[in-house]
Amino acid sequence: MSTVANEALAYVDALHNLARYLTGNETDAEDLVQETYARALGAQHRFTPGTNLKAWLFRILRNTFLSSYRRQRHNPTVGGLDTVDPNAQGAATEPWLLDDVELDRLRKVVGEELQAALMTLSEDARTVVLLDLEGLTEVEVADVLGCAVGTVKSRLARARAALRQKLKDYAP
Amino acid sequence: MNCDDVRARLLDYQRGRLPAAAHADVRAHLDRCADCRRGDAVEQELTWVLERRLPQHPASLALKRRLATQWAAAPSARPWWSRWRPVLVPAAAAAMVMLVAAPVLYVERTLFRARSERAGMIAEAVNDHLRLVTSLHPLEIESGGLHQVKPWFEGRLDFAPVVAFEGDADYPLKGGAVGFFRDRKAAVFVYARRQHPISLLVFRADGLAWPAGATAGGETMVTAERGFNVMLWRRGELGYALVSDLNAEELQGLAAKLTGRSPS
Repeated sequence: MSTVANEALAYVDALHNLARYLTGNETDAEDLVQETYARALGAQHRFTPGTNLKAWLFRILRNTFLSSYRRQRHNPTVGGLDTVDPNAQGAATEPWLLDDVELDRLRKVVGEELQAALMTLSEDARTVVLLDLEGLTEVEVADVLGCAVGTVKSRLARARAALRQKLKDYAP
Repeated sequence: MNCDDVRARLLDYQRGRLPAAAHADVRAHLDRCADCRRGDAVEQELTWVLERRLPQHPASLALKRRLATQWAAAPSARPWWSRWRPVLVPAAAAAMVMLVAAPVLYVERTLFRARSERAGMIAEAVNDHLRLVTSLHPLEIESGGLHQVKPWFEGRLDFAPVVAFEGDADYPLKGGAVGFFRDRKAAVFVYARRQHPISLLVFRADGLAWPAGATAGGETMVTAERGFNVMLWRRGELGYALVSDLNAEELQGLAAKLTGRSPS
């Protein structure tokens, strides 16, 4: 097995995690990851050594999702609640939640609430939040999403603001 | 920097992605703005809970096994030639080396052989000259002139030596003898320059590795061998070797008279 193949397989957990948050179910997530690796296998000669293999695989996964799974997904609500309008203005227009109560609620939020809040965001918003958590730079995220770095910056800010708003709603 | 500016830069500030001056500006604003400090704390808390509490969905072991099998067993989709690259690259490199080295080696070997042959001819000419001058009776026919010497060879050689220069005051013809040059008989004409004997060996030229200049009909450059100067040339079927301890310039003078050319 080639060096690229060995390294690529090391990212299977991260890819599956994004696939799970994109598709919303385990079966589709596994199919998406398997299809992603099949495409990567066929295109590995196009990978440029020295560049970020993880970001390259994320891009293939997202493109595979857009071309295959989004059209035929079983649950039409997954990813359908676009709470972050990409055409809306920047984060400056979002409510600036400043009170100490919000901070206190955030400290008490549990995993299921985080996941539920994240799943209400649009696919692009979810993707940008998850890729940011994976440690990809804005440039690498922009490469995965096929957009400008400035777009990544504004999408991330809006997605996080929407997430905070959702978490405020879930809080007791 | 106002609150909106700080809000737009807060994530970059927390990730350390701002230039030093902008980072200092945000820091200064946060120090004096309680609302923005709370906003900073909330953003930091959101990152903290996302990193630590957001459920992660790692791939199942079954999926990992399937992928490992798929990647190990699947035929490579690389270009057809890349599969053979481990073999093709060394083979191509070897072919390139051969392409470059073979002509070089051939030329080198040919030149080496030619140099060896030429060196052998020169050494042979000097040896023949030495045998003659150290002999008690070097001349088998004393010269009464070229018309005496040339006919003397008849019946003693399997060829007729072609020599037109009869000798003169500068290079008198002393006589002749039959000698050997390598594997063949040679007619030896002995000239002199002052007290220096000069041997002119005439022999069949075929089968010998002649220097390029000699085969083109001209004289070779004077070559020094063990203190003797040697000149070789070829005319038609006959080869000529002129040997003496005479200096090169005077030897060339005799060569010019023998060949009818101007001294080079």
